[in-house]
Amino acid sequence: MTSRGTRRLARIFFNAAVCVACLAGASFGWSATPDDCHALRKHGHRLEAEKCYESLTASRDPYLRAEGFWGTEQYQEANNQFRIAADESPKNAMIRVRWGRLMHERFNNTEADNLFNEALQRDPKNAQAYYGLALVSADGFDSKAIEYTSKAIELDAKLYEAHELMASLLLEDSDDAKAFAEADAALKISPEALDAMAIHAAIELLADRSPDAWLEKIRQINPTYGEGYALVADHLVLNRRYEDGLAYYRKAIEADPKLWSARAQLGINLMRIGQEDEPRKQLEMCYENGYRNEETVNSLRLLDSYKNFVTFKDGEIILKFNKKEADLLHPYFEEEMKRIIATYDKKYKMTLPAPVQVEVYPDHEDFAVRTMGMPGLGALGVTFGEVIAMDSPSGRPPGEFHWASTLWHEMSHVYILTATNFRVPRWFTEGLAVHEETEVSPEWGDRITPDVVAAIRDKKLLPVAELDRGFIRPEYPNQVIVSYYQAGRICDYIKERWGADKLLDMVHSYAAHKTTPDVIRADLGMAPEDFDKQFLDWLDKDVGKTVSNFDEWRTKLKDVAAQAKNKNYDVVLKEGEEARSLYPDYVYPANPYEFMAQADIAKGDKPAAVAILTAYEKIGGHNPPALKQLASLEEELGKPADAAATLERLNYVYPVDEELHRHLGDLWFAQNNFRGAIREYNAVIAMSPIDKASAQFNLARAYLAAGQKDKAEDHVLASLEAAPDFRPAQKLLLQLKDSNEGK
Amino acid sequence: MRTALLFVCCAACAGLGARSALAAPYYVTVAGLGGEPDYEQRFTALAKDLDKIFKAASSDAHVYTLTGGDSTKAHLTDTLSQIAREAKPEDEFILIMIGHGSYDGEVYKFNLPGPDISGEDLAILCDRIPAKRQLIVNTTSASGGSIGALQKAGRIVIAATKTGTEKNATVFARYWVDALRDGSADVDKNEAISALEAFQFADRKTAEFYASQKRLATEHAVIEDTGKKEAVRTTSAENGEGSLAASFVLLRIGAAQKAANDPAKRAMLDKKEEIERKIDLLKYQKAAMSADDYKKQLSDALLELARVQEELDK
Repeated sequence: MTSRGTRRLARIFFNAAVCVACLAGASFGWSATPDDCHALRKHGHRLEAEKCYESLTASRDPYLRAEGFWGTEQYQEANNQFRIAADESPKNAMIRVRWGRLMHERFNNTEADNLFNEALQRDPKNAQAYYGLALVSADGFDSKAIEYTSKAIELDAKLYEAHELMASLLLEDSDDAKAFAEADAALKISPEALDAMAIHAAIELLADRSPDAWLEKIRQINPTYGEGYALVADHLVLNRRYEDGLAYYRKAIEADPKLWSARAQLGINLMRIGQEDEPRKQLEMCYENGYRNEETVNSLRLLDSYKNFVTFKDGEIILKFNKKEADLLHPYFEEEMKRIIATYDKKYKMTLPAPVQVEVYPDHEDFAVRTMGMPGLGALGVTFGEVIAMDSPSGRPPGEFHWASTLWHEMSHVYILTATNFRVPRWFTEGLAVHEETEVSPEWGDRITPDVVAAIRDKKLLPVAELDRGFIRPEYPNQVIVSYYQAGRICDYIKERWGADKLLDMVHSYAAHKTTPDVIRADLGMAPEDFDKQFLDWLDKDVGKTVSNFDEWRTKLKDVAAQAKNKNYDVVLKEGEEARSLYPDYVYPANPYEFMAQADIAKGDKPAAVAILTAYEKIGGHNPPALKQLASLEEELGKPADAAATLERLNYVYPVDEELHRHLGDLWFAQNNFRGAIREYNAVIAMSPIDKASAQFNLARAYLAAGQKDKAEDHVLASLEAAPDFRPAQKLLLQLKDSNEGK
Repeated sequence: MRTALLFVCCAACAGLGARSALAAPYYVTVAGLGGEPDYEQRFTALAKDLDKIFKAASSDAHVYTLTGGDSTKAHLTDTLSQIAREAKPEDEFILIMIGHGSYDGEVYKFNLPGPDISGEDLAILCDRIPAKRQLIVNTTSASGGSIGALQKAGRIVIAATKTGTEKNATVFARYWVDALRDGSADVDKNEAISALEAFQFADRKTAEFYASQKRLATEHAVIEDTGKKEAVRTTSAENGEGSLAASFVLLRIGAAQKAANDPAKRAMLDKKEEIERKIDLLKYQKAAMSADDYKKQLSDALLELARVQEELDK
């Protein structure tokens, strides 16, 4: 790079005194610099900015050409010129920083990250490089974003963009006061810090105050600064205020119709609230104009895949399934949704104002597209106002998740978000949703995992007032899971100590826009710090034994597994019981319950196997093979009602199992539960069984037993159509005909 | 529709006497080298399950089951040579291979204790067996590599993998055994499980296994029964595959054979066949009929068939 070029590069970042009025309307016969062009753009002088950037493309300096091509949206050429510039100036850190920023803008965070790190190798005190790393980390809600931003500020206190970013990160963490201060700090350095103004506007909006003063300030500097509105929208969406967010994305593209990032977010968030036509239009417009980031492309693919989905509407319930499993899942989901709505209407003392749409994705990747750009795991289900997207039971290996538990969880969000008009901290709505899972049935919901036990042992639980941080910006790998657990247990504790109505009081307090410390003080009558202490004491009484014996439990369980492999069944039973008593909630793979059941079976003690598997079932174990084995043993021991109840539980875990439905249908039929038998035999048919004739025949006899002769006849004919010589069906057909003829 | 008709007809024929009263099935099951205890145990258990099923199904069946140290190339050669001497053209020959296989791009080998046996060597031994209707079920890894060597007119070849390059251990054998012990594989309810029914059952269950485990399927079973074409994943009238397999009774699970051999019931059986043909024709014409008309005619025909069957059962 030439020395002139280096000087110009330095000016971009350090020369704030640019005469924009002088530049606007200039012909650029003189040598413009990138910051001249940036300043024009920042002030909304688009045409002049474009001319300015164009003039840079003719420069002899590859770095300036890169900035010029970037400014005129010729990204590939800008990338090429950055490469040339970097090769010519291998020691120059700033070229790599700018190149990294281009990569970040063009959706390549991996390369951006590499370039910022390369810059730091050349200049370890480069604040802009740290700022770049912070931008990349912030995209993924990585806790390092704050660390990098702090470092950038430490190295260059005048870097107002870093203060703007810090303000945004703090606002994401719901720390409004500090966000406010950081935004002010940015404005003190640069009175034209537009994003700082946008953060102020977002703070006002989130507090249900008018943001107009701040938005007007932005407009006075740059009436086309759509990024400001988009930033406000991002924060609204992050706080689950989707409709409000959509309004601000619309303002963003109204101010700047070519702001593709905002237009893409408009499309994606319209999809989240269940729309299809406008999202397609907006996203296609982005795609056609070269804005092809992962979210946009995947969302368009997902929209294309909707042709494979079928929608069922029944009053307040809209269910959307992939066609291949719609017939199977529809009855179970519909029945459960009705049960949920009836329960929550009563519990939350409200009715939902609009139908709820539940989208069920058999391909986890499709579901993942729906949650992209959202913080936290979003692993099983996610709620967008009145739209729920979730994994199908078939989207994960059998036993990995409990779909009904997930549905109750997400539906709790729908009620709480509606009740609070989306003014509720993440920890509370998640905690309440986790709490609801075990309220439906103590066998449902997730049990304390080893990660959570370790977190409690290491005193990593967060104070209640800061619990949102654990969801938004986890500081260690499993902090989101730990935070779900903690939030759920806090709600368990509140219900146990103060009663269920207190939880409802808190919902109303949040709706009145109180902060968590205020809610704790007002509704629970204590300081948040006292609450934390008393909650931990309560938790310790429940799981303290498991926590304090965690290492011993691990050693013991390992030994149980080894003894089971060596078929030392007596030792398995003895040590398995010891391991179980230390950590009874451990129902995950290689749990003592299943080892002990196998040992009991090997020793021929079936009643003992039933007892231990029942204990496993009651405490929340739902591994399908183990529960099927329990059902089979219950049948062998002459307890068909217990067997049916066990298999019925499996329907909530993994209903994509033809044999399960057939067998449960048989059990219900034998117990004269014909409604149950009809449901199960219909499920068999929905799975397109190999043996269609038997499936149709079973359904026919169940209908006949239930007194529905017409349906019985239809299905016996369907059975014989598949297999005309099927003797039992022939006999049933004759029986039906004879009875019709009064024989 | 045409496909359905073809297979329904074939299956119906099979149920009524594709295997003559004097014909006897020769079942040979070989559990190859496991290589490690888990596989060794699994292969042997599957072979023993088949042994029980075949022996229970028919008193005149010749059942040979080679497992563990017995499943050497020499022993297998001796067994097939003995069958070559004993079997008659009207007999049926069924060879089921369970275990690991390998394919080097040219030659498929079935892994056995001691020397392996190649697909070509197996073909030579099977070719010597006079039974005109043969079924070879190769459930090993890389078994797709054996099809070229084994295929022959009058012989159905089923392989657990599409090609010799699908080299992971397979689960197809487990579901093949399930097909023979689970009455639901008999989809046309003619009390006989055909080679095609067993193939379709095992193939479907294998696919479901991988789908439920969220694992990429590493085996894709194929079938070839013309002796001259590429093996296929799905049989159809269009690809010409499946006709022989549909009519090849692998296992009888009911009393259909008894009625077929009773001269006193021949007239009734003729009547039954006539109604069955009528039902097949109706199903073929279904698309061109109104739903009500189809239902009525089908209902009448099925009722008539049921009454004939009732008489036959008396």
